[in-house]
Amino acid sequence: MSAMLSVQNLTRTFGGLVAVNDVSFCVEEGEIFGLIGPNGAGKTTLFNLVTGLTPVTSGRQFYRDTETTRMKPHQIAALGIARTFQNIRLFGSLSALDNVMIAQHLHTRAGVFDGVLSTPRARSEERHVYDYSMTLLEKVNLASRAHQEARSFPYGDQRRLEIARALALQPKLLLLDEPGAGMNPNEKAELSDFIRHVHEEFDLTIVLIEHNVPMVMGLCDRIAVLNFGVLIALGTPSAVQNDPAVIEAYLGD
Amino acid sequence: MEGFITTYGFLMVTMTLQAMLALSLYLPLMAGQLSLASPGFYALGGFVAAVMSKSVFGFTNQQVFPLPLVFVEMAVAAAICAVVAILIGVPALRLRGIYLALATIAFVEVVRVVALNLEITGQAIGIFGVPQPFSRSFDYMALTLPMLLLAIFFVYRLERSRVGRAFSALREDELAAAAMGINPTRYKVLAFVMGAVLAGIVGVVNAHLLNTWNTRQGTFDVAILVLAYVIIGGSRTFLGPVAGGLLLTALPEVLRAAAGIQGLPAPVAQFLQDGRLIIFGVLIAVGTLFFPQGLITPRMFRRWRAAHPQPAAARRKEAQA
Repeated sequence: MSAMLSVQNLTRTFGGLVAVNDVSFCVEEGEIFGLIGPNGAGKTTLFNLVTGLTPVTSGRQFYRDTETTRMKPHQIAALGIARTFQNIRLFGSLSALDNVMIAQHLHTRAGVFDGVLSTPRARSEERHVYDYSMTLLEKVNLASRAHQEARSFPYGDQRRLEIARALALQPKLLLLDEPGAGMNPNEKAELSDFIRHVHEEFDLTIVLIEHNVPMVMGLCDRIAVLNFGVLIALGTPSAVQNDPAVIEAYLGD
Repeated sequence: MEGFITTYGFLMVTMTLQAMLALSLYLPLMAGQLSLASPGFYALGGFVAAVMSKSVFGFTNQQVFPLPLVFVEMAVAAAICAVVAILIGVPALRLRGIYLALATIAFVEVVRVVALNLEITGQAIGIFGVPQPFSRSFDYMALTLPMLLLAIFFVYRLERSRVGRAFSALREDELAAAAMGINPTRYKVLAFVMGAVLAGIVGVVNAHLLNTWNTRQGTFDVAILVLAYVIIGGSRTFLGPVAGGLLLTALPEVLRAAAGIQGLPAPVAQFLQDGRLIIFGVLIAVGTLFFPQGLITPRMFRRWRAAHPQPAAARRKEAQA
């Protein structure tokens, strides 16, 4: 299996509602993979399954060769999968810097006594965490406001801070849940450039949920289309764009 | 001065102990867990000290109890509390918010009822004549003040460390914290255990200070009182619980002293004397209304920091420390 992420017959039900219905696909290493579909199609639920926040009802999922079907969120994060949230879930009353520092938890080791006694190990760790956090904040142009409360940031800045926080995990696979939500076309274009840049610089595989069709078409190598929890199309942007099932799902008949 | 120490020595020591008890509730709160289990562990620690000093070490009320043995008791109480905290913490911390509070109150009751029925804890009578390491109450300050300072230092440094950051991430948003690779169960139990250990150690000292220990120590009332320390003092920084514990413990005695001032009209003096619990209750109600975040808030520090800007280098150093 050379795929970075593969889901096989993945299903999740909430009571009588089948939110994700028998979905199978693979995400190849290094690609930018788009996940689109109308509202309520199950895109975010799929992200929640992949990151372990919602338990899988049936089916299996793998990260490289590791089965992640029954893993807890923090175990999946430890494999190198990071995400952002559709409804922004920053640590609101903490500073931007703290938000990014927290996400380096997995790459540090200091325990209670290291921290309290400020041992050389803890100090050098803290120095690295601080430096790397500031580097990341500089990349999203928030370094000058590193000490401000995260919730005091404008919406767009919170989105970028969330991406910086996800990058702080040093992931291999980054899941972005509607990073462009609520942005105007100019901002979306900027965001596309930023995502492309991050993809290059951090050598990432990216899966992204997005409503904006031009943005997805321009950015993604391949696209999966969900409708009512079912995968209705999968392929290159141009192929998906001309797929009758997709046109029907988006425009109705 | 001598008269002051004789009158208020006991009160001053109690203030430091109550401040530590407030910190023991604040520790799980750092990770967002509202646990009221502290009095249960406090009671447990007291029984460990009472039983060990009398039955294990065989000291009587007439003898001076050696201080090193108090530390031995502390270690034993800490170990017992840690084990019990892990055993009840792993299942209980699956509950959230008010449900965790209820479950931990149940634990406090269980400890009380068990102690009420066990031979070794003296049943309803309790354990009398717990030997004392100091002859005067005030002398306990030599023990409790350094303990309080140590506890403050511990929490202060913890808040600024990797583990402390994991705690605050859990307090802010448990799901997002888990997605950032923080193991919620592990850190919630860790915070809970640290609170339990601190409460147990406070119980050890208090059993010696009180000279006796029974099931009226560490009850539901104490849980509410300690919660009041944290709510009134402020639950967002470690200084809040410390201030709350010190002030609210002193308050009834301050009111009692105020009642003794010469020239007060008799009804006023009477009210200050007998109605001090009413005043206490009103202050708690008014305090929560007008200072919903408590007396001491992180915003105060931020304002102070804004008024005293530090050079970037110093701030950088601070972030590393």
